[in-house]
Amino acid sequence: MGRLNEKVSYWMLVAPALTIMIVFYILPVLGIWEIAFTEPTTGVDNFVKMAESSAVKTSFVLTFRVAAITTLGCLLLGYIVAYSISNFANKFTPLMLALVILPFWVSVLIRSFSWIVLLGRSGLVNDTLRDTGIIDSPLRLMHNEFGVLIAMIHVMLPFAILPMMTNMRGISDAYVKAARGLGASEWTAFWNVYFPQTIPGVMSGALLVFVLSLGFYVTPALLGGGRVLMISEYITYQIQEFLNWGLGSALSVGLLVATALVLLIASRFINLRSALLERK
Amino acid sequence: MMPVSAFRIFFQTGAWMILAFLVLPLLVVIPVSLTDTSYIGLPKEHLSMQHYVNYFSDTEWLHATWSSIWIGLVVASCAAVLGTAFAIGCWFLSDRASAIARWILITPILVPPVVQSLGFYRFWVQLGLIDTSLGVILAHTLLALPYVSISVFAALVNLDRNIPRAARSLGASVWQTVLAVVVPAAKPGILTGFVFAFIVSFDEIVGVLFITVRRVTTLPKKIWEGIQDNIDPTIAAVATLLVLLTLLITAITALRRTS
Amino acid sequence: MTDTTDFEAKRDIADIAVERYKQGRLTRRGFIAAMGALGILPALGSKVSAQANEIVVVNWGGTAKDVLEEVLAETYTAETGVPVVIDGSGPSAGKIRAMVESGAVVWDLCDSGAGSAIILEQQGITQPIDYSIVDKSKVLEGTAYNNGVGNYIYSYVLATNPKMLGGNVPQNWADVWNTKDFPGMRTFRKSVRGMLESATMAQGIAPEEVYSVLNTEDGIAAAIAKFRELRENIIVWGSGSDSQNLFLQEEVAIGNIWSTRAHLLKDQMDEGSFQVSFNGGVMAPGIWVVPKDNPAGTEEVMKFIAHAQKPELQVKWLELLGSGPINPAAAPMVPEELARWNPTSPENLATQILYNDEWYAKHQVAAEEMYVDALIN
Repeated sequence: MGRLNEKVSYWMLVAPALTIMIVFYILPVLGIWEIAFTEPTTGVDNFVKMAESSAVKTSFVLTFRVAAITTLGCLLLGYIVAYSISNFANKFTPLMLALVILPFWVSVLIRSFSWIVLLGRSGLVNDTLRDTGIIDSPLRLMHNEFGVLIAMIHVMLPFAILPMMTNMRGISDAYVKAARGLGASEWTAFWNVYFPQTIPGVMSGALLVFVLSLGFYVTPALLGGGRVLMISEYITYQIQEFLNWGLGSALSVGLLVATALVLLIASRFINLRSALLERK
Repeated sequence: MMPVSAFRIFFQTGAWMILAFLVLPLLVVIPVSLTDTSYIGLPKEHLSMQHYVNYFSDTEWLHATWSSIWIGLVVASCAAVLGTAFAIGCWFLSDRASAIARWILITPILVPPVVQSLGFYRFWVQLGLIDTSLGVILAHTLLALPYVSISVFAALVNLDRNIPRAARSLGASVWQTVLAVVVPAAKPGILTGFVFAFIVSFDEIVGVLFITVRRVTTLPKKIWEGIQDNIDPTIAAVATLLVLLTLLITAITALRRTS
Repeated sequence: MTDTTDFEAKRDIADIAVERYKQGRLTRRGFIAAMGALGILPALGSKVSAQANEIVVVNWGGTAKDVLEEVLAETYTAETGVPVVIDGSGPSAGKIRAMVESGAVVWDLCDSGAGSAIILEQQGITQPIDYSIVDKSKVLEGTAYNNGVGNYIYSYVLATNPKMLGGNVPQNWADVWNTKDFPGMRTFRKSVRGMLESATMAQGIAPEEVYSVLNTEDGIAAAIAKFRELRENIIVWGSGSDSQNLFLQEEVAIGNIWSTRAHLLKDQMDEGSFQVSFNGGVMAPGIWVVPKDNPAGTEEVMKFIAHAQKPELQVKWLELLGSGPINPAAAPMVPEELARWNPTSPENLATQILYNDEWYAKHQVAAEEMYVDALIN
């Protein structure tokens, strides 16, 4: 009986957080499914409309494209940083680490605002280029996909760097040393011996960045000029401009399902537990 | 001593350039905040503190800042208590059911912000929580819980399961064991979780946009409206203050760790 | 229930006042309206409790509320001794309906839009306007309904920045679509409201023909195609302040924006770098409606509406908020320097058309879908 009693007390520790999460979070999110099937009429009308709409299709394609490019960009840039921090220890390493973490603490809004200041038509980049005579008329750096991508990579980069660093920390340099001892060049040893060992970290980073990018709202909404309409912005657009809760909810369900599918597919290649549940 | 190879140069200069890309854009708000113009731009004739004066004399900005701070503290406290209890319970249980519970608790990390905010909005309307501080606190606590539970659980990984067992066999009750043995071991995780929870609440924008109308205003909402409504350099002043504060805290913690 | 009233435009008028006076708070756009239209109402409407012999007038808040108070309410009270209370909580059609159906009507007069006025009339929620007290001739033609009457006017207009364009300024919508002679970015609204009209005129169709052309599928498709053609040169504005910022930051040199925002920009932009043309503009009216069984009684409210028709008061509105007098007789009283910014001056009236709510009720949803597709696909 003692063991059972003990179990009950542990569950009593778990229960409060779990209960409010289920009642105030999971149920409301599931409630969106209900709206999608019942407003304005009961049935799958909203989903039919969604499937037929070429704007919705475009928006989904755009969302996946932006998320994919952001992910690739973050992996490429992030890998270089993670590798340097993990493999070339010197007195600057703590500083580098601090610089990676720093943007994490600055809100996405502020970071997007910084990019608006930089990339606007009369922003700092254009002004500088014009003052130095490199260009005559301002470049379009914002209010298009380019601006959104730059800012998104900037926001997501730390999410890619940290899992890769965690992974690299656990890699012994013995193999690379052995390969070098056998005459492999630095590049060959890196590419054939080191890189394959970092794949799990790369995958975790990719998953995190991709999933977060899919649902991203703030940056595209502020820098996209209304024409880089990712699904999240499309949802708010349907609801705020047209009070169209049915279609907005159906789109939300679509986005949720897409996210779940990505996770499902990822779970075949990645240990989701260590990528999400036990991430540090 | 190995000669400095092209390989090394590539990675090291590359890393520094990327770090510059990561950090320098945060600093552009500093010169802009000192502009003497009434629009976003670099100072024209002289440096001016007018936008800081404006921030510190504008009751709306100060009110929004204060709201964000106290809501953040309440959220962090609630999330720290609930999340710590949750993680400790799961750590003791360590069975399949508790693993599922842990997955449930981290869903807010995975669900897109706009989608969860729609859910909040519909439910909060029914509960009469729209445009109330309580509504914001509840929503933010839910969003912060995953971070607390993850960091507390991570801190407990290093705790030897035999220690609480020993305490129990010496006659301590479950609660005594938790309070006297497990909580102290989880302390670093709780602290990290508290800070995370505060930041989550302090920075959260999408949910606030959906569940508040006009009575409750947080700092991010004020910034958001500022960016959308009238890009005036006061936002740059606020952004500068926040960036500098972050730099300061990072520096202090870094110094502490080295000393 | 479809609600075709342009809430944001109304709220925008409120917002503008906020900027003017730097006081009061903006409301979160869309959401009060959303709550009302969804029929999910927290506490019904206002905390204003109606007493006998007082009129409760409801508008969209912000400092538009203060202006309403100062310009209409105080003058009315001074004249008649009847107190007037202004409530800025936003009289969406859904809220008015819920209030009337619940039998607890506390509002006497609401600042609504043409679309809502028609719907509320059909649903029997509002009272007929008593045109023996309210003067039909003192409102713009086409804005006197059975159960609603014009209040003010704002327009969708062609705004330009002559300085950025080197003095070469588009004169009409066809010019706006001519990117060869007029290069640079344009801004249009993130909704078809007031936008499809301009794309239709850009095809050379006469203003008075616009809605009959748009009533055909081909007409809509052609207008959408115009946007598809122009989209690389388009930045979209979501809120009125968005459009204002785009001009202030010189992100665009040309745009289709609200005349009320233009009214602000004319003071904010440097001399010679902002200009507006009402040529091919679309006028949208605000409409007064009176809920059934209003506490102050029909006659008292009608008297107040008649009071609000006084041209000198409407000119004040124009000066303070930029919304144009609905009473054509006000035009000659507008100060000379403001005349060309007045949506309802005789010169500007001649070149504009009236926003057609019936068309929006029928086609808006489908058109919005195609519009988004044209802009992003």
